[in-house]
Amino acid sequence: MNFPVMTERFIHHVRVELPAATEAAAEARARLGDKFPRTALRRMTHLGMLLGSTLDGVALTPEDAVVYASSYAETRALEDFLTSFPAASPLLFQTSIHPGGVQQVLIGRQQPVARLWPLAGRTRLVEQALLTALLEPAARVVLLGGEERGSWLLEQGYASDRAFAFALVLTHEAAGAVGRVAFAAQAGTPDQPCPALAAWAEALAAKQPLTWHAAGGEWSIRWS
Amino acid sequence: MAVSADQLPAGLEACQCFTPFGEADATVAALLAGRRALQLTPVLGREGGDLVPLALLGPMDETLPPRWLPAVHQLAAQIPAGNWGSAREPVVVTSSNFGVGSMYAFTRDRDARHLAHGTPFATVELLRRELGWGEHVTVFSHACVTAHLGLAHAARLVHAGVADRVLVFSFDFASPFVAGGFHSLKILNSGLPAPYARRETGSIGLGDGAAFAVLRRDAGPFRLAAHALHNEMFHFTGNQPDGGGFAACIGAMAGVIGGRRVWIKGHGTGTLEAGRLEAEGFARHFPGAPLVSWKGSLGHTLGSCGLVELALAVAALRGGKIPGTVGGLAPSFTDAVALEPFASAGFDAALLASNAFGGAHAAMLLTFN
Repeated sequence: MNFPVMTERFIHHVRVELPAATEAAAEARARLGDKFPRTALRRMTHLGMLLGSTLDGVALTPEDAVVYASSYAETRALEDFLTSFPAASPLLFQTSIHPGGVQQVLIGRQQPVARLWPLAGRTRLVEQALLTALLEPAARVVLLGGEERGSWLLEQGYASDRAFAFALVLTHEAAGAVGRVAFAAQAGTPDQPCPALAAWAEALAAKQPLTWHAAGGEWSIRWS
Repeated sequence: MAVSADQLPAGLEACQCFTPFGEADATVAALLAGRRALQLTPVLGREGGDLVPLALLGPMDETLPPRWLPAVHQLAAQIPAGNWGSAREPVVVTSSNFGVGSMYAFTRDRDARHLAHGTPFATVELLRRELGWGEHVTVFSHACVTAHLGLAHAARLVHAGVADRVLVFSFDFASPFVAGGFHSLKILNSGLPAPYARRETGSIGLGDGAAFAVLRRDAGPFRLAAHALHNEMFHFTGNQPDGGGFAACIGAMAGVIGGRRVWIKGHGTGTLEAGRLEAEGFARHFPGAPLVSWKGSLGHTLGSCGLVELALAVAALRGGKIPGTVGGLAPSFTDAVALEPFASAGFDAALLASNAFGGAHAAMLLTFN
């Protein structure tokens, strides 16, 4: 593997879920329920449903790789599991574990994948997820991520204040692409701030081009 | 299902771990002596509860600053000098717990200071401040295969030329959060784990552990020659009953082994079904290769187990003797399970494997001069 001076992937699917900040999981279940098997839906979290919605209509294969980015991940299951003590809930324990959100979707579909890369950082999370996707040898990479709105952890400042999710399907095929993500090596370039995950999702929803310098090069997303 | 392995050899410039027995050499010595670090301990720490096997560096109750910080400092003192966290020398942090014990402490004590290192990124920010790392710190969390992801990603980074060398740092410390969780699943119970033993009831132990590795593209005496990953997505906590997920990952490694004679450090937590599927998968693809697990002594260090056990494998190879399956019992699921230590002479590679919730499978090939 040799990373060229410029490396890129083409975007063949983009979908973003940006529900109202007040949307509750029950409302999302009513809004999105027909996208999921009923047996899977019962245990899906808000984040899981939003992630599943962004992949609606995307048929995955066992050869695909998945890159998943979330700073807070399964916040509500984590909160509820913590408050279930001393009678700890086994279901909430399983659900609270990163990368439970994307696993809900893929297990619901009984869809194996080659590699799953769950990231959990914050400051440079978006570019690290992009780099992980660009380094993947799989012909097709699904890059998805998101957050759900916290309750008592949000009151303490340790959870997202809104729910959202996004998904991109990235390949090496330029034909039919709706956009492109790229990294161009530029030695000595000082780091600039990386878009936050929520800002990234909003940019995807608006198909807004983005460019920043970091990690020794220029990151860009452009739309056709 | 065809799973391909990354064949991107990366040299191990340094690799070390810390367990309740101490550093890698001391831990290997304890394993060779058949000692168990696991002790029956109240599942909720100072709040009591059923006694379960835990291998701890100290009392499980979270403190301010967090109880894991001194051990992390002690381990980090051995990391080779570098501009860690820079673009050319990035850090990859792998864990499944991070500081979640501090979140539990908050729910118990209502002291908001615990939350300052509760989330994954807040924990990593604390590490960055304490250890002087820059901003280029990638964080992976994929339950018990997490460390494998970090090592595989590091190999990709150095082979792609986007990094000169990469520090992979992993730490997982038990807390009532995780002990209570596994206890609720009934797999963390009063029994001591007996990896790969054919018995009536399965049980695991949990352990504290931390480890690091510095990877570079240059060859060294120890190299990670290949990595394989696979995700079944069959069930949250179970595996495909036919062992297809194990076979996919193990089979991918069988394809890159060449003519090497290998021994195998499996996942071997002490669960029955996964232990059987794993042992049978190895026996099918690597007939005659001895299979060991060290979790019967050290407990399961969760997201860090891949890196902790890599450091132990390297230390064991340096010493020329591989610890057997401490806590294992006859009969085992296969004849390949090694209950006693054996000499490393005659082997020229080790296969190190881990598994996780969601039917995640990971394996890496450790080669050495």
